[in-house]
Amino acid sequence: MNRVGQEGVSFDVSVLFSPPVVVVSVWGGVGLLTAPSLGALLGDLIDRGHIDVVVDLVELEFMDASGLGVIASATARLRPVGGVLSIRSPSVMVRRLLEIADMSELIAVGSPDPGAGVLGPEQRSGDRSESVASVASGSMAVDLARVAALPAGNDVVDAALRLVTALARATVGGADGVSVSLRRHGQVTTVAASDETIAQMDRDQYATGEGPCLAAASEGHWFHIESLAEETRWPQFVPRALEDGIGSILSTPLMVSARPVGALNIYSNTERAFGPPDQELAALFATQASGILADAGVDIATEEVAKRLQDALQARETIAQAQGVVMARQGVTAEVAYAALRQSSKRTGVPVRHRAAEIVASTAREGLIGEVTA
Amino acid sequence: MTEPAGELEQARLDLELSHGELWFRYFELGGMSTALEVEAYLYGALRPTGHDRDMVATALNERFSELGGDHPVPYSDDEDGA
Repeated sequence: MNRVGQEGVSFDVSVLFSPPVVVVSVWGGVGLLTAPSLGALLGDLIDRGHIDVVVDLVELEFMDASGLGVIASATARLRPVGGVLSIRSPSVMVRRLLEIADMSELIAVGSPDPGAGVLGPEQRSGDRSESVASVASGSMAVDLARVAALPAGNDVVDAALRLVTALARATVGGADGVSVSLRRHGQVTTVAASDETIAQMDRDQYATGEGPCLAAASEGHWFHIESLAEETRWPQFVPRALEDGIGSILSTPLMVSARPVGALNIYSNTERAFGPPDQELAALFATQASGILADAGVDIATEEVAKRLQDALQARETIAQAQGVVMARQGVTAEVAYAALRQSSKRTGVPVRHRAAEIVASTAREGLIGEVTA
Repeated sequence: MTEPAGELEQARLDLELSHGELWFRYFELGGMSTALEVEAYLYGALRPTGHDRDMVATALNERFSELGGDHPVPYSDDEDGA
């Protein structure tokens, strides 16, 4: 039994070696502050040759995109060595997150589905249990399509792609920005971008008609610019990207029915930022994005990007991150952490999402120490 | 946590928020229930958990705040009775 954890933090991990499988059980919350510990542990196990990894989440109360990113990262590392990571007993919430991220194939066969009436931890912590997760997830997609008043399908696809983008941004080492561009009606457009720099980088490629993203989207294999300063391909585009402060770019094609339909683009402000593990990870995210497109039938019509939906997903993620921070700092459950956020918002008159953003920002500034519910 | 469902529905009507709009706001706050379920909470056909109920209340209160109001819908853990 090997335990890692942080002082006063409601997060703990135990490792049970039962050859050929190693079972990693996770308690509490996996968020901004605690995900790196879990990632380090999984990395260490894989380094030591444990390639059949089961992550048991029966005691997990909470997970955000950084937790998902850690799992995606471990999966990417295991794939080339023939290993496998499976998730046992995810809660309704984690199951939905995995579904949205198109990672639900990781859920172990025979894993109790809390939505199917088997008691999971969320019954204690107050999550709902009456609906089967996959059905509920589907109807949530319909809800989103209806409320966002957009053609059903594409907005949900874009939302899923944006989640993949956020995950890639959080997970790929050295990534300063991530975007997904798609060919729609013969034109390549950006449907998800993590920041303005990469949106500008994409626009530079569309304006000059050349660049690694366009090349990946048309030729169907990946393009890597290790150093913009030394790059001799794409002479129109490269100087513009250098002006944007970009050092290296990795563009991985999105393939549907063996045809390229777009690209997942990652840039870094530094040169030679992407090593082979990052390329594998990018390939994994590109595969996920491609899967989402394939499931949607890729009738990729040009439609307005659902700005509101993007904001909503961003708000949710920020709140989840702040929730994780409060859990870690105060050693409390997910719901107590949310209640603290809510009461703090009420006291200060600052909306929950803005209060959450303040907490996340203060964490970035101060590290782990600080007053949360000021 | 036995809040009368009517309180939430009355607040929604006061705000002139559609059920869809309220659900979207709840979704933005991290809510995991579907629009139909949230609608059922408001009509009292389904009973939400305390956590879920407070999240719907938060969505309503934030709309009140946008309109210059306070947080009139009480939370289950308010100490001062709001």
